[in-house]
Amino acid sequence: MFNIEFNTLAEALLMQSQNGQNHGIYVWSVVLIVTLCISISFIFYKYKIKEISKKIK
Amino acid sequence: MFQVNRAYPYIFYLSLITYLLSIFWGLFLTPEDFVQGNSYRIIYLHVPASFISQSLYLAMAIASAVYLIWKVKLSVYLVRSIAPIGAVTTFIALISGSIWGIPTWGTWWAWDARIVSTLILFIMYLGLISLHDSFNNNEKADKFLSILVLVGSVNIPIIKMSVEWWSTLHQPASITLSEKPAIDLVMLYPLFGSIIGFTGLITCLVILSSKLQIIKREKNKSWVKDYV
Amino acid sequence: MKPVRKKRLQTVLLILATSALGSFFIIRALDSNLDFFYTPSEIFLEEIPENKRIKIGGMVLENSVIREKTKISFIVSDFQGSINVEFDGIVPDLFKEGSGVVVLGYLKDKTIIAEEVLAKHDENYMPPSIDIEK
Repeated sequence: MFNIEFNTLAEALLMQSQNGQNHGIYVWSVVLIVTLCISISFIFYKYKIKEISKKIK
Repeated sequence: MFQVNRAYPYIFYLSLITYLLSIFWGLFLTPEDFVQGNSYRIIYLHVPASFISQSLYLAMAIASAVYLIWKVKLSVYLVRSIAPIGAVTTFIALISGSIWGIPTWGTWWAWDARIVSTLILFIMYLGLISLHDSFNNNEKADKFLSILVLVGSVNIPIIKMSVEWWSTLHQPASITLSEKPAIDLVMLYPLFGSIIGFTGLITCLVILSSKLQIIKREKNKSWVKDYV
Repeated sequence: MKPVRKKRLQTVLLILATSALGSFFIIRALDSNLDFFYTPSEIFLEEIPENKRIKIGGMVLENSVIREKTKISFIVSDFQGSINVEFDGIVPDLFKEGSGVVVLGYLKDKTIIAEEVLAKHDENYMPPSIDIEK
């Protein structure tokens, strides 16, 4: 069940499919966007809570 | 609030680990799809975000009804806290869908019922936030917000059913409650994992956002001063 | 339930019902007027002006694809009717005989002059090896 699909890091980045097309650019840009959106949201709320707590004190 | 604070790190780390492991599994340990090749791997990021963006609206609608009927203040704070997170997840769903469309459909955008109804959801989230913030009177703002959330909730079944009702470019759902999943099992397990993990992460964001909202709205209360 | 709350509950249900009814009519109106989506069997039943951009959805008929330099022509079928499509451009990777397609273009002499050809895929996902075993 667990077979690593890609042998090298370069292969994993390119993600060449059976039809010869490289799909890595699409997959990795989505990964990047999701990571950015979620981490920025966490940082934003943590910062805002800290800011308002300071103000109230 | 204090109990939630204690549970928060457990929820956060458990769901973060679940999400990261599932994404790793989906990206590297599953075979490519027989039609879409490796581009199908975007499913592990796109489907959780789309699922959450609709679920969050449903949660908002329920909280709005609770506020309108029982006048529970916390309930409308929850509505206001969920809205920006709903906007973020809908944004992720739209962008990841667009990028996925390039290698598969041959276009990044189509005026397709599923895509347009999701775009409307995104605009609704933004509209609800700016509407609520444009009022000076908090009570009026809360009332308008919850009524509009209820009015907008018809969009959720429309999004859900759009792929059945119209001839859309977007394919019908692969996972349904009534039928066997149309995804091979080796690809399905990490998908479930990523949905569960992402749901947990978004729950954490909702907790943070609600905390901010409660502190903001109750800042003159003595217990808030004690808390911070 | 207290009478006040009961009344509020009724208001909530009324809001839901009105907005549902409202959007139902909007969707009905959109369905007949704005969605220029035709299946190959429907297209000759209706008068479609030449300058109206329409959408055709169906399957690419097996052995119907003819490529000539950058030009490509094929037949879209829904197993009841079929229509010829001509297109000058690059088709998506997933464009294949026997798979789903959505064509945007204009009707001219019983042929669709396509501006855009999009590939449609279904909701099934499986590894290639299973496909070969079949």
